[in-house]
Amino acid sequence: MTAVEPRATGRTRDQLVSSLAGLGSLHAERRGVVTVRIPAEALEPATHAAAGNPGVRLADMFAEGSQEASPQAAGATADSDATVLRLVWAHEADEPGYIITETEIEDEHYPPLSDIAPAAFVEECEIYEQFGIRPAGGKPLNRVMLPPHNGIELPTLGHRPGEPPAEVHAPHVVGGQAFEFPFGPVRQVGVESLYYGLVTSGEEVVDLYLFTWHKHRGVEWRLRGKTMHEAIRLAERTEGLSAVATGWAFAAAAEAAAGVAPPAAAARTRAVALELERLYNHAAATAALCQATGLSVGQSAAEIALERLLRVNAATFGHRYLFGVIEPGGVSRAPDAEALRRELPGAYGELLRATDALLRTNSFVDRLEACGVLTAEQASRLGLVGPVARATGLATDARRAPVAAGGPYTEIPVNIVTAQSGDVFARFQVMLGEAAESVRLVMEFLGGGTAAACNLVPPRASTGLGWAESPRGEVLAWVALDEDGRVTRARLRPGSVRNWRGFDDACRSQNVFTDIPIIEASFWLTAAGMAR
Amino acid sequence: MPLWFIRGLRRGVVTTRYPARPDASATALPTPPAFRPGKLTRELADRMISVCPGPALSRADGNLIFDAGACTACGRCALAAPDAVTPTGEFELATTDRAALVKMIPILGEER
Repeated sequence: MTAVEPRATGRTRDQLVSSLAGLGSLHAERRGVVTVRIPAEALEPATHAAAGNPGVRLADMFAEGSQEASPQAAGATADSDATVLRLVWAHEADEPGYIITETEIEDEHYPPLSDIAPAAFVEECEIYEQFGIRPAGGKPLNRVMLPPHNGIELPTLGHRPGEPPAEVHAPHVVGGQAFEFPFGPVRQVGVESLYYGLVTSGEEVVDLYLFTWHKHRGVEWRLRGKTMHEAIRLAERTEGLSAVATGWAFAAAAEAAAGVAPPAAAARTRAVALELERLYNHAAATAALCQATGLSVGQSAAEIALERLLRVNAATFGHRYLFGVIEPGGVSRAPDAEALRRELPGAYGELLRATDALLRTNSFVDRLEACGVLTAEQASRLGLVGPVARATGLATDARRAPVAAGGPYTEIPVNIVTAQSGDVFARFQVMLGEAAESVRLVMEFLGGGTAAACNLVPPRASTGLGWAESPRGEVLAWVALDEDGRVTRARLRPGSVRNWRGFDDACRSQNVFTDIPIIEASFWLTAAGMAR
Repeated sequence: MPLWFIRGLRRGVVTTRYPARPDASATALPTPPAFRPGKLTRELADRMISVCPGPALSRADGNLIFDAGACTACGRCALAAPDAVTPTGEFELATTDRAALVKMIPILGEER
């Protein structure tokens, strides 16, 4: 099997849904999400049909055991053999929205889907760790979540794998002139635990792989059995720097399952918080870029702007990192509109002064140009999202999807910022453009009216998909709830999960050691979001 | 590069003694709870334990045990038992003794 090349012209969403339904059966359609049941024998042609469409991206893949181990029974394995495999496809062309295929896998194998859609590889590894089912053909699967020192003792969501996942530790002498340079997981101050396996011939990056499992906290496992109100505080801590986006996606999944929507003013409040989250993250990424390029005064200037933006968050929502704003059904706090209108222009002006000066600094710009290059083809093949994808020219943005997890972006559309060169400089330009756009959106949403309001989310045995655009790209959340409204399975897919897949490709593109911190800063991802 | 040298000189030192002045928004920020022993019944203690999303609250030997090191200051206990809980307003929790972060609050009418 080889990766599918997208056809020249794509099918419309309806055509794709009909094509998939022809292989199985249409199960449900609501709020921009179509669910199609595909029998196991048709999973491979169905994946070909979706992956072969330009404008269709594999956004996530996850499994659900039909009877999973309860949180109380830590260490126990699931009783049932059936596992449901779900693929979430984002349709971004004519009519943005999501298509979910669900397939019951009876035995331990399913078709090697990452051979068709390479974006599926990380999820294939994760599903093997958590549910013990794997792609047919025996391809090597990496360790993603479960630390080797805890081995099989760590609780999983379903059946344990028959064999532990492969330890992808390369030999320290790789061959020829190349050798492995181990770096991490403890790195410089303030950076998350992450292990780089750098394969190098001395200066050039020949290959790079990552271990991200040091921060695994079993969030999806811990969410089971909780009500959505209990669960949301854990969900938003999956990736603290995307607390609003993750919380919004999670709340929207519960709302979709219950068939309710937040009040319009609450949805606008969410959007204000989401854009403030984007602003401070882009300021932090700017500071990190300065640090990576050794520009300490520039770093200080960006960090002053960052600190002012965090204080704006505190003055507006009562939390510097905007935790606790999102609730299922609405929001718990209204923004202090007066403080926001008063403080935001000054804080953003501070950032603008720093970035204007940075753009006039040749030694800074030179380090960013032609560094960590990704093409649109790579971004599309790997399902990349957020500024990383937009910097290659792809207009991928979850805020464009219908309902947009609430609707404020239908009311006030977002101008999507893209660039073409796919390098660090393009990502920086996209972030700067988005920061300006976020300030505009915040003011427009405030003008539309905001409030601390919640609609009741009645308990109902159902499932739902939610999404939001975090500063590092699309966040997806899928929940299955029982009749008491308690979580039986929650899937959280922060943007970091997608974009770490592109990081090693970007580092290999004719870069040297000292480019890697610059590339990492421009991706502005978290290990926590990946290892959750 | 001279641009940045001059820029740095012009801006001067921005780090100060901590804290140079209280942050105006600090009073609105979430802080860990303080418990009123005179109002803390077993029913309220159990209610707060059930809503705590982390392992910060537990009950043993007639006491509510509060681990400030495990508290995220989410405020759910205060919502569940407003009479028995007030925010401490305290941010400075750093200590070299982990046990110093664990408090025992007597529950009304319980034998110890």
